[in-house]
Amino acid sequence: MGTRRPMDEEYIDIDDTFNQDDDAGNGGYAWEEEYKRSWDVLQEDEEGRLSSVVAQLQQQRKRRRLLKDTAVIQRGIIRHLFLIIDLSEAMNEKDLRPNRIDLTISYAKQFVIEYFDQNPISQLGIIVTRDGIAEKLTELSGNPTDHVTALETRNNVETSGEPSLQNALNLARASMIGVPSHGSKEVVLIFGALTTCDPSDIHDTVYLLQKENVRVNIVGLAAEVQICRELCNKTKGTYGIVLNEAHYKDLLFDAIPPPAIAPTKNRSNLVMMGFPRKHRENQATFCVCHSKLTTVGYICPRCRSKVCELPSDCDVCGLTLVSSPHLARSYHHLFPVENFDEIRTSNLQSMHCFSCLIPFDKSDINTTTTTGTTTTTPGTSSGQYYACPKCKQEFCMDCDIFIHEVLHNCPGCWSIASENQDNNKK
Amino acid sequence: DSNLLVIILDTNPFVWAESAKAPHTPLSLDDALRQVLIFINAHLALKYNNKVVVIASHVGHSKFLYPISDDEITKHRISGERNANMYPNFQFVMDQIVASLQELLSNTDVSFLEKDSGTSSMITGAFSMALCYIHRITKNDDLGHIKPRIMILSLSPDSAAHYIPLMNCIFSAQKAAIPVDVCKVYGEETAFLQQAANITGGIYVQVENPQSLLQYLMFAFLPERYARKFLNLPNQDQVDFRAACFCHKKIVDIGYVCSVCLSIFCSWSPVCTTCKTKFAFRPMVPPSPMRGKPSPISK
Repeated sequence: MGTRRPMDEEYIDIDDTFNQDDDAGNGGYAWEEEYKRSWDVLQEDEEGRLSSVVAQLQQQRKRRRLLKDTAVIQRGIIRHLFLIIDLSEAMNEKDLRPNRIDLTISYAKQFVIEYFDQNPISQLGIIVTRDGIAEKLTELSGNPTDHVTALETRNNVETSGEPSLQNALNLARASMIGVPSHGSKEVVLIFGALTTCDPSDIHDTVYLLQKENVRVNIVGLAAEVQICRELCNKTKGTYGIVLNEAHYKDLLFDAIPPPAIAPTKNRSNLVMMGFPRKHRENQATFCVCHSKLTTVGYICPRCRSKVCELPSDCDVCGLTLVSSPHLARSYHHLFPVENFDEIRTSNLQSMHCFSCLIPFDKSDINTTTTTGTTTTTPGTSSGQYYACPKCKQEFCMDCDIFIHEVLHNCPGCWSIASENQDNNKK
Repeated sequence: DSNLLVIILDTNPFVWAESAKAPHTPLSLDDALRQVLIFINAHLALKYNNKVVVIASHVGHSKFLYPISDDEITKHRISGERNANMYPNFQFVMDQIVASLQELLSNTDVSFLEKDSGTSSMITGAFSMALCYIHRITKNDDLGHIKPRIMILSLSPDSAAHYIPLMNCIFSAQKAAIPVDVCKVYGEETAFLQQAANITGGIYVQVENPQSLLQYLMFAFLPERYARKFLNLPNQDQVDFRAACFCHKKIVDIGYVCSVCLSIFCSWSPVCTTCKTKFAFRPMVPPSPMRGKPSPISK
């Protein structure tokens, strides 16, 4: 498999495609290349300057976020997810830096933290598969530190042998039998091998998964495998093959926002939850979760036993205990911010971004040079400007990304009380 | 290290009018503004590179009071003449804030008083703008030398419609490690802002004697983030994180949560009022068959 000499058009490409990245050798998959020529990404323009190229690359990376569907639809908020990691010999390949298994483990740790950040009342468990068997690394729980510690322990994540798809999926399915009907059951499988070593017919497993409404998403590190494709199609999950490290992270983190579910009658339910108060005392008493002596804890409103942290289930009566900020953390999935419209520089009405006061550079309409790149003056916002369709305020690109990814409210809409109030656009 | 202090000033004129007529301890907007300006000067005087940003949260809209863009400076006709007795940096900041505030108050739409939203101000909008501004400033600062924090001077009560976006702002501030301090000058306790201060690690102070506002500001809110580790600042002992049910607004210990829209109810009902999802009835014991009841129609 030889490498092609990369053409100029593949790098200075304005389209938002996943192929263009710092690490992409020739726009193909990571496993297809023999060696990477990462220095070829930067090309000089005609005057020999690199700065405009760097700015272009930065802009592409910023806007790589796909415009998400912002319709208000039903999503599974109370989730139970198993992360299955393939620890076979194939994970020692070095096509992803430094090798597949190290990258996987570091991304898995970030995944766990981000998952609990976005879904505070959900649960996660980790299963690993090697030597033809599957073992449960951590049980389904709501505490991120357990999972991160388990992933960090070196001998838990040694690779050897062949993976077993059927054993891993069966283990996940069996562990999720006790999940109540209002919770969603999901599996995220990171599969780096091209073979699997199964005890019996995998199609039986696929059928059982489908019957129990378990959704399987697979991130493939090597080529596409037919059984994985069939598995994902039957269980309505997604299957993606990674192109490079950045794409791998994107694919893996796609499973973090709650998935849209079709409203079925017996899925949604009123879940009884307790809202305990924090209790501080002078003498230490036992908690029921660890049997440790502590002075601070939360008292379960039903059985009055003390638990150490929220969110968790009371070990005595089984009541789910949460505090209102945990529920509030998931509200932004249900009421997302609308995507902003891109506006042309000539249609700009205000002189600065509404929320961060950065002055707009209105002079770059006609400064395209002969090479087709635009120059921007330093200290002003570069590139595109966006306006909210509801309140018509204008924002710079950085604010747009910040609003949609972190803040989840439009400052313009919440700064203006009613539609017929004059917008403060001066 | 430079400290960036973002002050969100609640300028709801209707509540300020009430506060100025309060029986024992009246505080008008003029008095309060004078004290806040002294506090801002103190903050700027602590270090040569301290910065301040002031955002007004008014009824109906919120906007930046300082810094404002050049065209607004010429519009407000802020005179550039220097007062020889005042440090020019302080003069510059004060002039802009006072002029912008005058313009804001003179353009108040009185019709808000009749509407329901007359008693609440747009804290959420101001908070979001503050976070965007801080994000822009810290993005260019790779070494982490700028330490932002937010201070909210609040009088108006909470608005229930703003709960969700306010919580979004609070979580963004928590993720960025920006402490949010709250100084409640007038009015009763606001649960949302208490939660804000608690979650982000800020200070919540309910001012008992508003005429000595400056003392509260100087002692509790002036120290920078680094100094706070060594000082014993007022904090809340018990923050109530329990939720209020959507149907009666009473605080519940055990509630029923709709798994689709996460709204909280105090008792089981067959349909969720927010998202109109129907819930399956759980199997119930059938009632014992009724014996013949005497007919109500008398013979």
